[in-house]
Amino acid sequence: MPFMTVRHFTEADIPVRTELLRENKYQTNLNDFAMSAADLELADGMRRTIESGHHVKRLFTMCGSKGQVVGFSWITSIDWRSQTCELSFAVLPRYRSGFGFKAVEAAHEYLREQLHMDVIINQVLSHNTMMLSAAELDAHAQIRAEYDSYTVGQWRTACYWTVTRDDVRGRKQREQARRQEIADRVRAGVQGLS
Amino acid sequence: MTEILSLQRLDTDMAIAELKSCGGAARGFLGLDPVTQNDSLLAAELKSLQAQLFSAGETVVGFAPNTDQPRQAYVASTSADPEPLRALLEFLTTYQRCTTFVAMVPDGVENCFADCGFEQVGVLPRHRWQNYDWQDVLVYVGRADSCRS
Repeated sequence: MPFMTVRHFTEADIPVRTELLRENKYQTNLNDFAMSAADLELADGMRRTIESGHHVKRLFTMCGSKGQVVGFSWITSIDWRSQTCELSFAVLPRYRSGFGFKAVEAAHEYLREQLHMDVIINQVLSHNTMMLSAAELDAHAQIRAEYDSYTVGQWRTACYWTVTRDDVRGRKQREQARRQEIADRVRAGVQGLS
Repeated sequence: MTEILSLQRLDTDMAIAELKSCGGAARGFLGLDPVTQNDSLLAAELKSLQAQLFSAGETVVGFAPNTDQPRQAYVASTSADPEPLRALLEFLTTYQRCTTFVAMVPDGVENCFADCGFEQVGVLPRHRWQNYDWQDVLVYVGRADSCRS
């Protein structure tokens, strides 16, 4: 069983995601519309997405190796012809340390491997350093949009950047080269011992 | 005469559950794909295709009428075993008055169409996206008089 799997979001996931939408960090880092919406309205919105929003928006559930729900990812602004979309994700509070990167990686993998998305747009509000440090965000950001969103009583600046197929290929090659280098070093060390 | 497998007609929810349980074999079944389509979208697609699905043991078979040619049906199977397909063709000939069948099968997937008298008439190159690549789709055509057991 892989470490992280992506599956379609179902009606059974609605209560868990509703709770997440009402969580404080989620609201600060993504959006706070759930504060002014009833549970039923939120559920109706998610149900509409499941049933009829396929062309513009899709929700996915991220599961850990035991099948447990770890968080959710969703794509919006889908342009099927240009093969671009914006990816958002939120991890449940108790899985936040450690699972974030894996969840994003699994979502990217699925979007490219099966949905044939070429360019994925990331947006992170600049105060949100849960996964990337402020310096990393600065390095990634291709656009910094001030007054991008208003969440929990404050205007927030957003960092936007795209991840293309070449970016992913380059990153994979760098990782592979790094692993190879370590393996070579270990092998040389072992040979030196014998 | 060989014994015909019995087909059990599946309603939409059941059909989707059965297709999902077939894993990779259901990808491309009548153009559907449980990996990229959720249950609601699969149900909508099945409805717009006017498709009917059946289970025959472990296998799911199904057809969608060609609305431009009422004597023709698109057919699909999740297994390489020819018997469930033969049962479907028998059903289509007997109850739907079909005279010809078309199957579009992802290349590289072991299938039973040649065993059931279908002829491969072409390849749709790079027809669908799956697993980081374009996949060819093979087109098979069969006639009721040569395909029935």
